[in-house]
Order: sequence, then structure tokens, then C-alpha cells
Amino acid sequence: MSSNRSLEPSALSLNDLPWQVKFSNDRCTLCGQCTAVCPVKAIELGVFRKRTLKPSIRRQADQGVAQDVFYGIRQKTDVAHACIGCAMCTLVCPNDAIHPEKNPGLDRMKFHINQQGVPRRRGGRRNAAGSILDRIKFTRISMLTDPALDAGRHEFEMRTLLGRVLSPRENMKRLKEKGWIPPVREIYPLIIGGMSFGALSPTMWEGLQMGVAYLNEEMGMPVRMCTGEGGCPPRLLRSRFLKYVILQIASGYFGWDEIIHAIPHMKEDPCAIEIKYGQGAKPGDGGLLMWHKVNKLIAAIRGVPAGVSLPSPPTHQTQYSIEESVAKMILSMSMAWGFRVPVYPKISASSTSLAVLNNLTRNDYASGLAIDGEDGGTGAAYTVSMDHMGHPIASCIRDNYLNLIKIGKQNEIPIFAGGGIGKNGNLAANAAALIMLGASGVQIGKYVMQAAAGCVGTEEDRCNVCNVGICPKGITSQDPRLYRRLDPEDVAERVVDLFVSFDTELKKIVAPLGRSTSLPIGMSDALGIDDVAAAQRLSIKYVV
Amino acid sequence: MTHTDFIYIPGKREEKRIPSRVLEEIIHQQIHSGQRHLEIEAFGQHGIGGRLWDAGTDPVNIRIIGHSGQRTGSLGNANTCIEIMGPASDDLGWLNAGARIVVHGHASNGVMNGAAQGRVFVGGSIGARGMTMTKHNPRFDPPELWVLGTAGDYFGEFMAGGIAVVCGHGSQPEEKVLGYRPLVGMVGGKVFVRGSAAGFSQKDAKQVSLTDDDWQWLETGLENFLKKTGRMDLLATLTVRPEWMLLTAKSPHEKADSPNRPDMQGFRKQVWDRELGPGGLIGDLQETVPGTIPVIATGDLRRYVPVWEQDKYIAPCQAACPTGIPVQDRWAMVRADNVDEAIAMGLAHTPFPATVCGYLCPSPCMAACTRHQEGMPPVSVRNLGRAGEQVPPPEPPEKTGRKMAVIGAGPGGLSAAWHLTLNGHLVTVFDTGSVIGGKIASVIPGSRIPENTLKTELARIKALIPDIRLKQSIDADAFARIRDEYDFTVVAAGAKKPKSLPVPGIELAVFANEFLSDAKTKKITPGKQVVIIGAGNVGCDVATEAHRLGARDITLIDVQRPAAFGKEREDAENCGAKFLWPVYTKEITEQGVMLQSGDLLPADTVVVAIGDVPDLDFIQPHLAVDNGFVTVDRFNRTSDPKVFAIGDAVASGLITDAIGAGKRTAQVIDQLISGKEVRETPAMPVMDTSRVHLAYYDPKTRPDDLSSCGDVCASCGRCRDCGICVAVCPESAIFRNDLGKAGFEYQVDPDKCIGCGFCKGACPCGIWDLIPNTPM
Repeated sequence: MSSNRSLEPSALSLNDLPWQVKFSNDRCTLCGQCTAVCPVKAIELGVFRKRTLKPSIRRQADQGVAQDVFYGIRQKTDVAHACIGCAMCTLVCPNDAIHPEKNPGLDRMKFHINQQGVPRRRGGRRNAAGSILDRIKFTRISMLTDPALDAGRHEFEMRTLLGRVLSPRENMKRLKEKGWIPPVREIYPLIIGGMSFGALSPTMWEGLQMGVAYLNEEMGMPVRMCTGEGGCPPRLLRSRFLKYVILQIASGYFGWDEIIHAIPHMKEDPCAIEIKYGQGAKPGDGGLLMWHKVNKLIAAIRGVPAGVSLPSPPTHQTQYSIEESVAKMILSMSMAWGFRVPVYPKISASSTSLAVLNNLTRNDYASGLAIDGEDGGTGAAYTVSMDHMGHPIASCIRDNYLNLIKIGKQNEIPIFAGGGIGKNGNLAANAAALIMLGASGVQIGKYVMQAAAGCVGTEEDRCNVCNVGICPKGITSQDPRLYRRLDPEDVAERVVDLFVSFDTELKKIVAPLGRSTSLPIGMSDALGIDDVAAAQRLSIKYVV
Repeated sequence: MTHTDFIYIPGKREEKRIPSRVLEEIIHQQIHSGQRHLEIEAFGQHGIGGRLWDAGTDPVNIRIIGHSGQRTGSLGNANTCIEIMGPASDDLGWLNAGARIVVHGHASNGVMNGAAQGRVFVGGSIGARGMTMTKHNPRFDPPELWVLGTAGDYFGEFMAGGIAVVCGHGSQPEEKVLGYRPLVGMVGGKVFVRGSAAGFSQKDAKQVSLTDDDWQWLETGLENFLKKTGRMDLLATLTVRPEWMLLTAKSPHEKADSPNRPDMQGFRKQVWDRELGPGGLIGDLQETVPGTIPVIATGDLRRYVPVWEQDKYIAPCQAACPTGIPVQDRWAMVRADNVDEAIAMGLAHTPFPATVCGYLCPSPCMAACTRHQEGMPPVSVRNLGRAGEQVPPPEPPEKTGRKMAVIGAGPGGLSAAWHLTLNGHLVTVFDTGSVIGGKIASVIPGSRIPENTLKTELARIKALIPDIRLKQSIDADAFARIRDEYDFTVVAAGAKKPKSLPVPGIELAVFANEFLSDAKTKKITPGKQVVIIGAGNVGCDVATEAHRLGARDITLIDVQRPAAFGKEREDAENCGAKFLWPVYTKEITEQGVMLQSGDLLPADTVVVAIGDVPDLDFIQPHLAVDNGFVTVDRFNRTSDPKVFAIGDAVASGLITDAIGAGKRTAQVIDQLISGKEVRETPAMPVMDTSRVHLAYYDPKTRPDDLSSCGDVCASCGRCRDCGICVAVCPESAIFRNDLGKAGFEYQVDPDKCIGCGFCKGACPCGIWDLIPNTPM
């Protein structure tokens, strides 16, 4: 920085930045790896002047003044190049000479990430570490009172139902009358939620799909993955792996012509169709794939020109009421596969979710409801939507489940929960808590990115550049120079690790409850929390 | 041993079953009293035959008839032999620490659960969870379980030691001899099985082949087992080696080394790609390259690439110079010891290198100098300019035969004439005055420019341009004649008509140009008190001259903040001149200047210095004018395509503005002559000085001579050829190419470069940039 620069309002010092690059000249070998790898060019080689005085008390002629020049790593302070804390520099540094540190409270940049009047947009998460799910304990440990189950030894039926289950009376009636019986899938309760081909890199997406196929075909785990809204590669549509896939349709309708063309050639029906009305990360806002990421491949799969930003409207066009939306969309999608495929909507968690659920209960074609809570992650959203919009998932799921109980349909229409599950690493505990609060299964996104591909994002506003295609791990980039850092095989391997270990952990939770033949959906008597208000709100036990 | 050797202990007394606790007491009393052979008729009592350590090392034989209860032989002692004449109930030999037990029938669940020593022979089959949690303490022989028939479900769970032999006798074809899901959690021990062990935990156990030692042990043991259980008839049937298999626990390393699932690479090849096609998911849409790329990549895989941008940008000094002199190029020549060339180069751009660059110019080049960014003094162009005084005029090139007229021999006109002459044209300069040089010669105080310097430079101009016609009367008709006679005419008549003030007594005042011009000839004495109306730089010159001529109380007044700046203002202030503003002149009287406020500023001389306007009388009939100035386009073309206008006739400006306009006009005229489209020489963008690194320069250095000035010039956008980039590049990817007469260039080897940008970061001149690589 120039020493006699003038100050403009957005002139920041290192001290004002959210992430500060700590650098040790003693250890640095000036190899250039850190500056080469930095995704935002936050650091560069700096030339520094070093003035050394060698004073003498004898004569003026004896005063020594030496000017030296040395090099080191310099952090830039302008908003466009502010360090994002990804620590790729630390990763590549051969001498452990450099690492970013979170500014513990002097971050002034947040007041300036609106240059040219554009509010901050980012990918990632809500950056709020707290989670009510982490605080829920499983307090019913059924020693001697229930069958003593051993997670390591016993066999468990870890499956859930996706689809409309008719009441026994109605089912018998239709059987007798040879009427239509809704399709139901028996699936694993941990679902990889909708992340589009485009939001994710091709290597990441292929890795996830490969892992899912492996889990199904080699491990016997009926894991399903949702495509997100961005179409589906034609080869997958025409393969037997399609049965592991939940196809998503959303307001942008990207890639649906390819899907329609593929229907006559499908070897298998897809697992289900998810109609996205909202997502937890940015309720009331549509999807957005920024032009950086719309390359030839993405464009081909989505059926759009390359190099343009692809916004999805916040709402489905041509649908003006909940009745119409639900009826029209679900019916169309059911019809497309001859009523053989479950179709369900996904909405953002909201204080109005009950209205949607009540509507679905009156519609036989509705196979379930997926609800995405405020902690959901995303590839791109306005910060204000991500940080301040939405509803926590726990109470929303609970309200909906209790409502189903009220109308006696808790075993008929499954609710799936998403948003922040495992955000602090406690995947199985969070999932089990939601299941016991009433969810039939859970959807995860960020957790998979972190566990299966090493996403460096944290709840501390680290990295969060998924939206602009510079993901240093190649997870959300469409740039071959980045996504080729990721091997689909490795991702698949990690997906398998993740699901297999989740399975063990989930068993460790349900075994002491004495449950092995079915998931403890809604088994809220097993739950406790050390907060009176939360206990009351969730109708679970208050424990201290 | 005969029946009579045994003490009979009934499990009933008076037709009532004795409680387990009482029977235990009775057995212990018998042992205490020295009995070593007990026959117990059991009625389901718990734990018979265990814990008989009171006998010391004496062997104790227990024979159980009737219904043995649960946990027979539990916590068994090594001296104990138990023979159960019928079937056994649950947990036979539970936590067995050495007892040998023979069962002549089936045994139900949990046989040997938790046992660490001892041996159990079962002449039938066993129930679920046999041989579970068994141990092997190296101080003792391992526990053994021999089963003639089959085992129930969950056999050998968490087995940590011991040997189990399951003969599978009497099993159905395809029957799982070890039951459902055996050996889950097995970490030690051996299991010999005759028959199917399908479904055993692959995660924990493995099948190994029997060694000869194993077989010998098994064969010997079988004979003993069959003898004890009274089934020697089966010896031949059971000792068929190929019918036996051996299962052992996997070691932790084996578990880790061979994860219990097929490898993903194989799955990708054989399942994934086979179903989807070569290249996998998107193999049909784009070429996919298998494998990963390194995080630090070279060549095409670099995200950013360095570029050496020599001569792509102009330095801020050159950009700021209205005459467009490439200042940084001249300093480069100085550094290369081409001092003469550097000095002479000035004449290619201006006829006044010493007069203007060296003295009169406010030096926008220095104001724009990058060195200001770090508070360092700019590189002084004064010395370089002044050194141009003694350079002989350039040789005029071959004549083109074209005739050009320049009206006005001021700096703008002389610049136009100079450059037109250097372009080979025949130039005639017309001026109404008696000397050439315009205001430089007539108005600017001698304190600001040594007389000799100006004389020398004017003489050089005369030497190059022979046809300068002075004292010409140029009226509208004369202008029309000139315009018709010459191919092109450049009007550089300046602004000689002083602007006046509409106030009473204005006739008492003297105009600045007149005052300055008279001052040069020393004909005037302005008196002690001088008021100057108009506090611009000309006003300052007046103040300085007035002071030189004896004035001591000098006031400059203005209606707005004084526009004076730089050297002129400094000189005026040094003469004690006061600046008053905003004040408004009401009238000028013999006493001085009366202000609208009513105050009187006493003055012996009042000078009006509020600017000059061109005298356009001779032009007006022929050319379009606007607001007192000749109308021109950005190429200084007037409404007449044969006539150009430059300098103060067009707009007030600096001397260097006029000189620059003269130079550019000569270029435009050449473009017109050669029939080219008139356009600006494509201006190079100005160097982004944030790319220039000043840390290399010592801020304490105050360069004075040419050589040290050359050294501290940051050479913005012009490679100093220092080779720092070569030294700094961590991959040795940069090399210098000698291009002979064309100079040199620095190049990057893409196969070595990692795109770190160190070259950019270190380059003192900002030549290197780092740009995103071409999208893939």
C-alpha cells in the first residue's frame, strides 16, 4: 500500500479484514506455492524496505544507515481480494510458514461488501454455529426394560418409506376394486439432497452418484440422491442407476427437455420426483447459477446458452395458489411416469408449512413433503436471505408431525427434514433427533461436501465462494483447472465411508432404545433437552 | 470307576426340591469331608459343579443325573470333571476357569459363554451363542468346546480365544453348521468346522487351510472326544480331512488392510463405466481425463499466467506531459550511458527543451511521478531539459515541397513550425512583433529564465526555420492570401488582448502584459505600493517584477480563491505579496483601488492581470469562432480544412500545451498529406502505478545529477532489464532473450511456471502482470 495514499471510505487495513494471513518470514522459502494456489489472489509477493540504523555517539560521519530490501508474502486489503480463510496456502506451504486467522471481532469488511450497490452474495452456509439439534439428547436408554440390542451385533431395519401409504381400510378397498395404489419406495433414511449438476462440479457430481450406486449395489444400502435443479446427464437417465436418483424439478425447469426425451428410453423409473418450491438457505429466493459456472457442458445439460447467469424465479410461473401448485405439478409429474413414481414437494421451513402439509394430506398423489430448514446450505444466495430468512427445522418438523398425528395420518405421508443436519459434525445424532421428532428421513448437502470432498467451509464465514466457481477443492467449480483436483472415485469412496459409518452411529443410537425392526419415527419420548422452553416447544422432555 | 465309588446326593429331600443354595452347601460339605466322587441327582439346580476349589489339587468328579440346571460347571475349577448323563441347560461352563465337562446329550444356549479355560464335550448339538466371549489367558491352556452336532445362531460372538470344534454330525445337507451370523466380533481363537459356515462375519474372521499340525491336533482330539462321549463308532466318519475347515480371527491389520468391500476403482471400471459407457457420467458430452491434477500446476493447467508487458503502457510522466515527451525512455537512455541521445531526444518533441522543460514549465510530468506515492521527490526533469540548451538543431530531412504557413511566432507557432520543418515542409512564420518567442520573450520575467538560454534556443529555432517574417501586419485580407498561398496554415496568434474591467478609472491601470514587457526593458518605476487585480500566475509575475523594481507593499486581489500556484506563487510570496480574496473592485482612483466594501487599497500602480483573450479580428471573417476563441475540433482543425489553430488562440493553457498542440498539428497535417484518415496515434493506456514497486529505492536519496536521476526513475512500464524476475522466480521459469538490435525480452517457460506471480510482485517497473489463463 502506498504510504501517502488518501483514504476513501472503503480503505481497509489488514486489521479490518475478516481473515488475516499470518506469515513467517523466518520460515518462508519463497516458493510461490501459496500465491499460486490462493483462489482469490489475496496474497502476493511483496517487496519490503528495511532500514537499519547503526548509530554511533562519536561523530556524524560514523552514523550508519543501511537500506535493505527483502521479499515476503503480502496480503491485499481491497474488498475484491480479501482473504476468505480457505487456508489453501497453509495446505500447500512446504514450511508451515503461512496460515489465515479469523479476525476475532475487528472485521470491518462486512460494511463494505456492497460496492457498486450490490449486496453481498455468497455460497455456503448461514455462519451460525449453534444448533438445537446438537442439544437434543437421547435420554431413553432401555437397559433391561426393552430387548437389549447391540448395534455391532444385531441386525437393524434401517429403511424408511418414501411414498403415500394408504390407510389399511383404503388400501384393502382399492386392492379389492383393483384401484390405483400409490407407489412407495423403501429407501435409506439419509438422502443426499438436491445439489445440481452445475452448482457442483462434474467430478463431484459423478463421485456422489458413483458412491450412491456403490452403496446400493455393493453394500445393499438403498441410498438415494436428488439431482437438484439442473437436469441430469443423459447417460444417467438411460442407465439402471436412475432408480437411485430423485429427479428435481424447480421453477427454472432446467434440463427437463432432456429428461422428457429420455423417458421412453429409461431402463428404470427414477426413485421419485421432487418439486422444489423453496430451499432453506434462501427462502423466497430462486436458485442462481452465476455465469462463471455455466460452461459448455452445463449449458448442454441444462439446455441453455453458455456463459449466461441462470436465475430460477422464486416461484413457479403459471401457478397462482397452493391448491393449483400442488395439484397441477404433482399430477403432471405423476402422469409423466404413469403414476408409478412418487412425487413430493420440497419447501423451505416456514411458519406456513402446515398449510402445505394439510393440503397434501388431501391429495393421494402427494407422496410426502420435504422441508428444508434455515441452516440449509447453497451454492449462491444473497447474504441477507441466507443469514436472516427461514425457520429452524426442528420445530417445523415437529409442528408438522404433530399435526399429522392430530389428523391421524402420521403413518401415511412421510416428512423429510433438511437443513443443517450434521453442521457441527453430529450427523447421526442430528438425523436421529429429527427422526424421533417425526421426520421419516433426512436430506444432507453440506455435510456430504465436507465429508466426501473436503469442503473447507465452516460456520465462521470461511471460503463461501461456491457461487463464483473458484472452489479451491473443485467441488463447486466448472473450471477443469479446479474440478480436476477432485477424483470422482475418491469422492465415491468417501460417500461410502460416510454412509457406512452413519449407519453404525444411527444403530448405536437406536439400539439402546430397543428398536431394530423399524426406524423410531416420532419416538419423541426418547428425547430430552436441557432447556425448558425448547422442551415445551418441541413437546419433549426437559432434562437437567 | 464303579457306581459305588460315588457318593449319591439327591436333589430332593422329602419329595421337595432342594434350593440351589442348599445343594451348593451340601456339595461343599462333602468336598470338605474328603469326598472326591459325587453323583448328584439334579432337579434343575443352578450352577452345579462349579467353584470346587476347596479340594485343592485333588481331582473331583461330579456325575449329574436327572435335570442339570443352568450354568452347570460355571466358574469351574481345573480339578473338576463333570459328566452330565443327559442334556444340559443354558450357559454350560459359563466363565469356566478349567473344569472339564462332558454332556451326553444336547446343550442349550450359551455354552462356554465367557469361558477362559477348561474343556466342554457335547455329545449332541448346542443352542444359540455358544463359545461367545471366550478368552485365552496365556498362563493356561485355551478353553475348548467340542460339539458333535451343530451350533445354534450367533455362535462365537466376540470370541477372543479358545478352540471350538463343531463336527456337524447329523446335520441336513446345506444346513449351516454354525447357525446364523456366526463369529461377529471375533478377535481370537480358532473354530474347526465340518460342514457349512456360510454367513460367518467376513469382517472379523477368515477361513484358513488346516496345517498338518492342526489336523494332527484335531484327529487326536476327536478320538478323545468320541471316546468320552461314547461315539467311537463315528471316528472314521469324522476324520476325513477335506471335510474340515478352519476359521480364525482377522488381525486388526488384516481388517484395516482389506476393507470389507470391493475397491472403488474396480467398481468404476466394471460396474459404473460399463453401465454408462466409456468416460462415465458425461463421457458422451466431453472428453474426460482420468485422474487428478496437482494443486500446483504448470502449463495449461495454471490458473494464472504471467505476461511481460513491455511497451504496453505509458508512464504517468509521459501521459501527463502535454507535449507527450517520453520522459521515462530518456532516463532509460541515461542509465544506459546514452546521455547525449537522451538529451538530444528532447528536440524531437519540443524546440524549447531548456526554456520550457528546464525553466518555465510547471512540469506536470513531475507532478504525476510515481515516486510521490511513497512520499519520495519526483525525478527532476529540469536538468535533463536544461542540458538540451547546447544541442545543435537536428538535420532537416529531404524537402517535401509542401508550403506551410504559421501565424504567430510564440511557443505554439514555433513548435508547429519546428515539427513541420522536421517533417520536411517549407515553413513560413508570420508575426506582428519584432522578436520571436511570443510571451516567453516579451512577458515572462527574466528572473524565471536566463536570457542566454532563451537566446540560444531561439537562435537554434531560427537556424532550422530560415523564413520567419516579423513585423507583419496581418489583417483579414492578408490572412486570406496566406491561407490561399500555402498548403496549410496554422494559426498560433496567441492571446495578446488583455481582458479589461468595466469599472470607473480603468484607464489609470496598466495591463499585466504591458507591465511585464515594460519591466523587461526597465523603463518603469511602479512605486512602493502596487495593487494587482487578478491573483493568477501572471499576477504573481507582476508582483515579482514590481518587487524587483522597488515596490514593497504588493497586494494581489481576486474575486475568488487565487488560482496562482507553483514557482510563480512562491516567488510572489517571497517578495512579501499579500493575497486578498474575495474582494470586488468598485473603481480605480489616483489613490488606488476602491473596493465595493468601501475600503481603499492605496496604490502607486494598479495592474490588471485577469487574463488575455485572442485578437481575432483578422480571423473572424474566415473562421468560426466561439466565445472569443477559434473553434477547433480535437485535431485542432478549424472550420476551414486548410487552417489549423493552436495555443491560446484556441483556449488558455500552459506553454507546454501550446507546444504539444503544435507537435500534434504537424502530425495531423502529415496524415492529411499522405491521404490517411486523421486519427489520434492510438494512445497506450497509462501504467497502473500500483504495479510499480518503490521499495527498491532509498527515500533518503535526493538525486541531483543526471545519472542519479536516471537511477531513481521507477521506469514505470519500461523494463529496466535488471533481471530481478529471473532471480525471484522460484521455478527458474523466466529467461532473458537477447534480440540483438531489437533489444531484449523476458520470456516464461510455461512448463516450469506455476503462476505464482512472484515476477509481478517483485518487478520494480511493473512490467510483469499476472492474468487469468485462457478458459478451458
